[in-house]
Amino acid sequence: MIVTQATDWFDERLGIAKFTRKSLNKIFPDHWSFMLGEIAMYSFVILLFTGVFLTLFFVPSSKDVVYNGAYAPLRGTKVSEAFASTLNISFSVRAGLVMRQMHHWAANVFIAAIVVHVCRIFFTGAFRKPREINWLVGTGLLVLAIVNGFLGYSLPDDLISGTGIRIAFSIVLSVPVVGSYLAFLLFGGNFPGDSIIPRFYSLHILIIPALIVGLLTAHLAIMWHQKHTQFKGKGKTDRNVVGVAMWPAYAFQAGGFFFVTAAVIAILGGLVQINPIWLYGQYVPYRVSYAVQPDWYMGWLDGALRLMPSWEVQAFGHMIPNVFFPSVLLPGITFTLLGAWPFIEKKITKDNSEHNLLDNPRDVPWRTSVGVGLLTFYVVLFFASSTDVLANSFSLSLNFVLWAFRILLFVVPPIAAYIAYKLAKEASDVPGIGKRKRALIISRSEEGAFSTSESAPRSIAHEEIIEELPEEVKYHSVLDGTEEYVMPTAAAAVSTVINNVSVDVDLGPLPSGGSGVYQIPRSPRGSAPNGRSDEQDHQGDLDE
Amino acid sequence: MAIFKRPGKARRATLLPIAVGTITVGAAFLAFAPTASYAQSNNPSSLSNYGYTGSYIYGSNGHGNGNGSITNVNLDPSTIPFGKSLFVENCASCHGNYAQGSSRAPNLQGLGAATIDFWVSTGRMPLADPTTQAVQKPPRFSRSETLAIDAYVTSLASGGPAIPNVNLQMANEANGSELFATNCAACHTITGAGDALASGVYAPSLLSASPTQIAEAIRSGPGNMPRFGPNTLTDQQVANIAKYVTYLQKPVDQGGIALGHVGPVTEGFVGILIGLGLLMLAGLWIGGKAK
Repeated sequence: MIVTQATDWFDERLGIAKFTRKSLNKIFPDHWSFMLGEIAMYSFVILLFTGVFLTLFFVPSSKDVVYNGAYAPLRGTKVSEAFASTLNISFSVRAGLVMRQMHHWAANVFIAAIVVHVCRIFFTGAFRKPREINWLVGTGLLVLAIVNGFLGYSLPDDLISGTGIRIAFSIVLSVPVVGSYLAFLLFGGNFPGDSIIPRFYSLHILIIPALIVGLLTAHLAIMWHQKHTQFKGKGKTDRNVVGVAMWPAYAFQAGGFFFVTAAVIAILGGLVQINPIWLYGQYVPYRVSYAVQPDWYMGWLDGALRLMPSWEVQAFGHMIPNVFFPSVLLPGITFTLLGAWPFIEKKITKDNSEHNLLDNPRDVPWRTSVGVGLLTFYVVLFFASSTDVLANSFSLSLNFVLWAFRILLFVVPPIAAYIAYKLAKEASDVPGIGKRKRALIISRSEEGAFSTSESAPRSIAHEEIIEELPEEVKYHSVLDGTEEYVMPTAAAAVSTVINNVSVDVDLGPLPSGGSGVYQIPRSPRGSAPNGRSDEQDHQGDLDE
Repeated sequence: MAIFKRPGKARRATLLPIAVGTITVGAAFLAFAPTASYAQSNNPSSLSNYGYTGSYIYGSNGHGNGNGSITNVNLDPSTIPFGKSLFVENCASCHGNYAQGSSRAPNLQGLGAATIDFWVSTGRMPLADPTTQAVQKPPRFSRSETLAIDAYVTSLASGGPAIPNVNLQMANEANGSELFATNCAACHTITGAGDALASGVYAPSLLSASPTQIAEAIRSGPGNMPRFGPNTLTDQQVANIAKYVTYLQKPVDQGGIALGHVGPVTEGFVGILIGLGLLMLAGLWIGGKAK
């Protein structure tokens, strides 16, 4: 009763009933690959929680102090406040180290999940009209996540990350014409400097997370508004969404998945050491450690830097710094190409219709093959960032490994693309591919004759029956939808009294109240009907 | 009202308790996560004796030391004949009977006991294949045999560093860590794990080196490694580095499994394969499959 009163109180003031009702009834297509984006989102939430904890103890300052904390092997050495406070988080703050490690692992998992999510979107064609905007937003999120990862990695001011900042500074310097201005603007002067850590700090904990939260909200809102895509299948068309309802089924699924994500990251953070800065020591410009790699998501850039031959390119009478090509031009092209892909594909296919049904990667061999080829290129670059570790582990010459990667970088992607194309082609020609296979039963008769037969199809009890969401009904309150409802034919309403005039408000369907599979129609967007004219209502391949 | 209408779907309700259970384990670990505790702790009061005692002039009469952090091992002259027979059996085919060298191997006379001791005690000599960098392997000779060989070669000519005996009690780890970062990490990596250098040459891992071998390597500069004489690093500083390297062989891995101390390469693989991998499996379990 108290809940009803409270929700009514809010509804009378904010009119939230309709939105809540709609949201509780939101249909989520049920496929595991739709969980990949959720891993990223939940890791981000964990990043926020653990990050807030770390800000309580981290001191973003390059000021020199004599370390006198708990870690004996560095006691009495001169370190920066940033480094000393990170040591204190690791050794003196209760649960500080596990928080720090969870934060770092969560960052690694966050970006990995984004990359896998992007792959899912790409290979299933989920970026096609009407979802190009969300693809662009997602590309922006990927860039911001990588940048923020690098900034956070740099904050402890340890030997390895300091080398990374040094490289980043040189990369900015290498931009033709404006490089030195840009570098001084970003880093507050020449390297090394006292303003680098404080600047990175406010970018890392404030500005970029705020941008990520903003873009993530837009990402989700657009997704909410446009409704999910879905794989082809029984009862699924371009004009409906089939899946489980937000409440109660999906809410439990997603809530449970958040806990699983938190648990996996907590296990890693508690049991597996990451970035032991106490072994690396304070960054001092004249010190360097061999075998310095960035975190994995920067690996492809590091690999590109390693593989770049020492060419000196002259243009307009000036030398363009060698570093510019692998570390500015390559990421520039990469992210432009990534963001522009929906538009590039549209140019190629001339397909302007709306797509809510996903492609199976095998259905579009050319896109799959392009995607596999490009992905392989970056995977080779990624592995190239560990040339020294590979050379050492396999007792090979570093030069040999380097040259092997230079060749592999251009040889492997076309081969991978070709194989992907052939496999996709082959797979799409196989009759009945993607369908659940039935067991073959070999039986022997009493006379000794053998015969084979297919097993019976799955019993109908397990088949999901797709139900329409119940049409609307008289509204009493959001959570209390079971009361006073009648099944009307017309859309029904809430009677709200405004200035003594009774106004009917359409509330949409009732809460489903069950965990079955439902479908709701999609409303076509826009006023121009040309996208819909050619009866796009094709049923899925698997439909029969 | 039945929240879960279909028995097939009710299975998902079991997810929540499992998830809650797992997170509880994580939370419990978090609550009881160990705070500062060290195997190696220096008495802070001893930090003041940083022992930069005056630099020792190299090569006058032997190998003295500033304050006893390094003492020289005295070789027993009576072992020289035994050492000679070992040398002739195992080394002379390349280095010559009197260690005078040949077209295949360098002259060893006057290189000092530390040099000979390092190469033999780390198993690098005798060498199987003289075309590549000498690899560390189990030493062929016992400690007394090695010392006998050292005594024989040293008896042929004077000069070179003596075998240092490092007194780790008198060494300073913190100073050693700074010196290590400045002088050694550029090849051996900051964790001492070693790594590949150019053209098949590599900086070996320091994780099995004894304090004496560390000091011998610093003083004699084996292979591609530069030699650090007493005007570059004092005996005290060498002892400090040896102490820090000894610490690195069993460092404080407060965070858990160390992943080989090679940094983000292994961390990335664990993050992607185990972290994301487990989560994708969980997603596969929770989410629907192709029908």
